[in-house]
Amino acid sequence: MKELSLNILDIAMNSVKAGADTIKIILTETGDIFKMSVEDNGCGMKEDFLKTVTDPFSTTRTTRKVGMGIPLLKLAAEQTGGSLSIKSRHESEYPENHGTVTEAVFNKNTVDFTPLGDVISTVVTLIQGSPGIRWIFSHKTPKGEVSLDTDELKAILGDVPLNNPEVLTWIGDYLKEAYEEIK
Amino acid sequence: MTVKELCGKCGFSAVTLPQEDREIKGCYIGDLLSWVMGRAQEDNVWITIMSNINIVAVASLADVSCVVLAEGVTLEDDVRKTAEAKGVNILSSPLPSYETAKAVWENI
Repeated sequence: MKELSLNILDIAMNSVKAGADTIKIILTETGDIFKMSVEDNGCGMKEDFLKTVTDPFSTTRTTRKVGMGIPLLKLAAEQTGGSLSIKSRHESEYPENHGTVTEAVFNKNTVDFTPLGDVISTVVTLIQGSPGIRWIFSHKTPKGEVSLDTDELKAILGDVPLNNPEVLTWIGDYLKEAYEEIK
Repeated sequence: MTVKELCGKCGFSAVTLPQEDREIKGCYIGDLLSWVMGRAQEDNVWITIMSNINIVAVASLADVSCVVLAEGVTLEDDVRKTAEAKGVNILSSPLPSYETAKAVWENI
């Protein structure tokens, strides 16, 4: 994909489909490394399925025989000399602490590094689409951190839903300002 | 024109031709796989320098008639085997993408 933010959207949508009620999107930049991880408490994947997710010919989609989200993210990471790892605990074996962690590591100083792109739109789109989920977003760089936790917003908003258009606009503006501060 | 005929006329070499009699219609060039997925048309010749297993899946999804690996790019054997099993034709061209496309255009 042209932007990593689209990969984040894709991976997070998998977490939504897995029935997660908390999804953490954590971006960490240190030195040459850009790390993105999406952590959820969804139903998780069984070991034999987990082994096939990086295979472009396997998917949970029934409309076609290939699923490209994870294979393309893996390729994007490996093109920079990085890697992709997925750890998952299926609810059948871990009824109390199931879920999936997808982590991609990139060397951000190689020419083949895919730019992050518009991650603010990704976060706003995810909240808009699934306002019932607790979204935790954090982007740490050597200059500081941008973070958002929708549970903290809910505590302030009271009865106003997270997908209220004014709230979504506010979230977008808040993130933009926070990014300005760590520029 | 079929993929097999194109291969001979353009001086490409066959990497795997499980469906050599597929008809060709037009051509698409691209290396960003997600981009190609949404833009290559059915029966196109798809020219790329990528050689990862994902090209087989993208070729299959976009239903192109064949993939032409430009610049003499080679495939790992397991990628070639997967292409064969999935019915994806793959050719190889020693030329860069632009010259490869020219050869396709002149012969198609």
